[in-house]
Amino acid sequence: MAKILEGPAMKLFNKWGIPVPNYVVIMDPDRLAQLGEANKWLRESKLVVKAHEAIGGRFKLGLVKIGLNLEQAIEAAKEMLGAKVGTAEIGQVIIAEMLEHDAEFYVSIIGNKDGAELLISKHGGVDIEDNWDSVRRIQIELDENPTIERLTELAKDAGFEGEIAERVGKICSRLILCFDNEDAQSIEINPLVIRKSDMRFAALDAVMNVDYDARFRHADWDFKPVSEIGRPFTEAEQQIMEIDSRIKGSVKFVEVPGGEIALLTAGGGASVFYADAVVARGGTIANYAEYSGDPADWAVEALTETICRLPNIKHIIVGGAIANFTDVKATFSGIINGFRESKSKGYLEGVKIWVRRGGPNEAQGLAAIKQLQEEGFDIHVYDRSMPMTDIVDMAMKS
Amino acid sequence: MSILANKDTRAVIIGGVAGVNAAKRMAQFDFLVNRPLTVQAFVYPPEAGQQKEIFRGGELKNVTVYDSLAPALEEHPDINTALIYLGASRAAQAAKEALESPNIQLVSMITEGVPEKDAKRLRKLAQKLGKMLNGPSSIGIMSAGECRLGVIGGEFKNLKLCNLYRQGSFGVLTKSGGLSNEAMWLCAQNGDGITSAVAIGGDAYPGTDFVTYLEMFEKDPATKAVVMIGEVGGNLEEEAAEWLAAEPRRIKLIAAIGGTCQEVLPQGMKFGHAGAKEGKKGAGSARSKMNALRDAGAYVPDTFGGLSKEIKKVYEELIAAGEISTEIDEAVLPELPPSVQEVMKQGEVIVEPLIRTTISDDRGEEPRYAGYAASELCSKGYGIEDVIGLLWNKKLPTREESEIIKRIVMISADHGPAVSGAFGSILAACAGIDMPQAVSAGMTMIGPRFGGAVTNAGKYFKMAVEDYPNDIPGFLSWMKKNVGPVPGIGHRVKSVKNPDQRVKYLVSYIKNETSLHTPCLDYALEVEKVTTAKKGNLILNVDGTIGCILMDLDFPVHSLNGFFVLARTIGMIGHWIDQNNQNSRLIRLYDYLINYAVKPEQEVPEKK
Repeated sequence: MAKILEGPAMKLFNKWGIPVPNYVVIMDPDRLAQLGEANKWLRESKLVVKAHEAIGGRFKLGLVKIGLNLEQAIEAAKEMLGAKVGTAEIGQVIIAEMLEHDAEFYVSIIGNKDGAELLISKHGGVDIEDNWDSVRRIQIELDENPTIERLTELAKDAGFEGEIAERVGKICSRLILCFDNEDAQSIEINPLVIRKSDMRFAALDAVMNVDYDARFRHADWDFKPVSEIGRPFTEAEQQIMEIDSRIKGSVKFVEVPGGEIALLTAGGGASVFYADAVVARGGTIANYAEYSGDPADWAVEALTETICRLPNIKHIIVGGAIANFTDVKATFSGIINGFRESKSKGYLEGVKIWVRRGGPNEAQGLAAIKQLQEEGFDIHVYDRSMPMTDIVDMAMKS
Repeated sequence: MSILANKDTRAVIIGGVAGVNAAKRMAQFDFLVNRPLTVQAFVYPPEAGQQKEIFRGGELKNVTVYDSLAPALEEHPDINTALIYLGASRAAQAAKEALESPNIQLVSMITEGVPEKDAKRLRKLAQKLGKMLNGPSSIGIMSAGECRLGVIGGEFKNLKLCNLYRQGSFGVLTKSGGLSNEAMWLCAQNGDGITSAVAIGGDAYPGTDFVTYLEMFEKDPATKAVVMIGEVGGNLEEEAAEWLAAEPRRIKLIAAIGGTCQEVLPQGMKFGHAGAKEGKKGAGSARSKMNALRDAGAYVPDTFGGLSKEIKKVYEELIAAGEISTEIDEAVLPELPPSVQEVMKQGEVIVEPLIRTTISDDRGEEPRYAGYAASELCSKGYGIEDVIGLLWNKKLPTREESEIIKRIVMISADHGPAVSGAFGSILAACAGIDMPQAVSAGMTMIGPRFGGAVTNAGKYFKMAVEDYPNDIPGFLSWMKKNVGPVPGIGHRVKSVKNPDQRVKYLVSYIKNETSLHTPCLDYALEVEKVTTAKKGNLILNVDGTIGCILMDLDFPVHSLNGFFVLARTIGMIGHWIDQNNQNSRLIRLYDYLINYAVKPEQEVPEKK
């Protein structure tokens, strides 16, 4: 899953003929003034200004301003740009035309194992939660596009009438095209609005996820996926992502503020069980991390140093299952270097380290990391005969 | 018995380096269980026609690389399985072709990052054709004692530790590569080992689901219980629960589900596997999966740590019920023959080295010249002249010495297009020859008449200093008798009246600006006085000067011509670049530059 921001989503909607309001994304308020001179709609419509960042609950944070004229919009943009929200800094705002409308609808499409499911409802906007039984749905088999007649029928079934039903059917048909051709995983338009005076439709707000693994066949994708955890990525997370993008194998890292137990775990499956074990014993994790696919030792070293810098941690769990081909000796040499470097910089004060691992060169790798005991590290090393997540129990009891 | 893979499995691997590495691991297993090579062929167009060397124990086998699947299958009609090791952008097409090949019944995709839509299409195709598609993102399939597809099972030692050389009673199903190994280890430790283990891959829409494999395990009489490791996201585990509950089952199901931590983590947090993504409570959550499985009668520990106990419990129940015999035929297992490198490391064999080197070592993180790291030399301000000192003389020159070396190289770098070396390079450049060959054409011109006198000049002046001190006439007569003209003395165009400025500069620099002790150079200058008295052009030339200075610098005598070779290479490369920049035409000698001193025209006589 790769969530994308409204701007790129609107651009893809435009490409496939799904109606959207006029909008611009800017990084500089002066640019908005210039655009205002060239674009009539910016001068004549009421405007909405929103922080164009992956920040959850923007409305509550005052990062959405509505009903503005151009001057007020420029002011709002000035105010938002550069503002700090938690660890994030707002770098972009999106300014869209505020459409006077008569009704709000709901349309979404979500991938499933046989294709995707299309959902529509006459009760869009905030009402959708309360009117979930008004939703009508249709399964769209992989590589099979339903006819506009079939979609219009679905719209009628959902309570749309006459020309509106036909137009909704058409929009759904284009949405399916967009979903299919852009390797989307889900698109939710809420609300889809209509202004009856000129029968103008527009997708006022949209959440779109694309399959970022398919980017090799989308030369026109000029966006990067944004964080899905309700906040933008931190600098440390971005650094690890950057390393991840250029190595064989993978390194992953997400911060969880306030946790006391840091995870330096291996393998997509095993790392989750380590996190589970911490939580099941009433502990708090300071991060989620994972390395796998025999990454270079320097990449593991960078991940280790990042983890050692997490604030207020009491334990580090160097966990993993029995690796198939990740070289334990090589990856541990990265971990060992990372620990040494971190300690020399004053980190790891009072931090206990717990190790359990198996796999290629496990004996050498475990022996090497055990040496850290002699250098004054509070480190406890176990081999495959220790059940995988039991080091978590030992850490919690210590 | 086993599922998916057995003694009759014969595979083709589609993909490059990673595929070959997997084939090597598979061959280790083939050796362990004494079966023929599983991998019969590779398909990888960039390397088509090559043979890959695969060791089955101590036996070296060659496996051919084909440019497409059809000829591979034609030459190896036994192949019934394809493993995809290509990158994500090409993997789907390869898997499709494999599924569409009549002989291939099972396709296992190791590739990670296959777009979901492609995976869905492949799944649909496999279903339509009645074939098995395992993966994408699968570490492989293991059938104990029978067949290994992929690197599942890890290193050779681990194959033994997990009893994978013989069949046990537990099936293993996971989404994860690492955990499949862990589960096999748990089954060996707490039970009698596995029948088959399948890693279905961690993607959102894998080619097959848990139920497909549970059905197969249910039909396999040797499998008494299945250890299934699931995770948050999707509904494969719920499907498995439904399957289990639908009717009385012969096999028992033990399941661990990952992702309960998500209940307390930020919503939407993404885990390592693409499929483990849902953050909601209710359907798709780890908790609901655990509950569904428990309700269906599966053994579900609260945490992964509890899995060992559940496996042990089930194993003991099965023994008590007489389902499993505790008699195990412990076979004598072969040892993988060690490589020469490993044996040497243990100190059990002595190998005489083929060559000996004394100047540099590239086995560490970077090359070391006579012990010094190259980057450290750079960062501490040393120059190419110091590297010459290290690689040719194994000594780091003093600052004064390196300044002299630098000047020698600078002064010898070029001497115009007319000399034989430069002319050779230019001629080659004009004929369209590439740089290394053109430069080496010029290089072959270096010899006693052009630039090749440095070594001999140094050698004989050094000899003179030692054997004929204060006896220049004695030295000259010895040379006349034994060698001929003194190397380093004489110049074609330079003379006392028209001195060589390079020689003058070098001599003056060394005499006036350095403290170098110069017995050879001094001797040569004395010799010059004698020879120029006889004839004006018998001066000490640049070869001779350099040769003497280098001897005084204590360079090995064999290295001396190297200074000319190295320095003049700079000039020859320059000439080659120059000619190419000018787009030079082919050179052909004009008739008037040649004296055709041949016999007049005559008729060819009849052949007798």
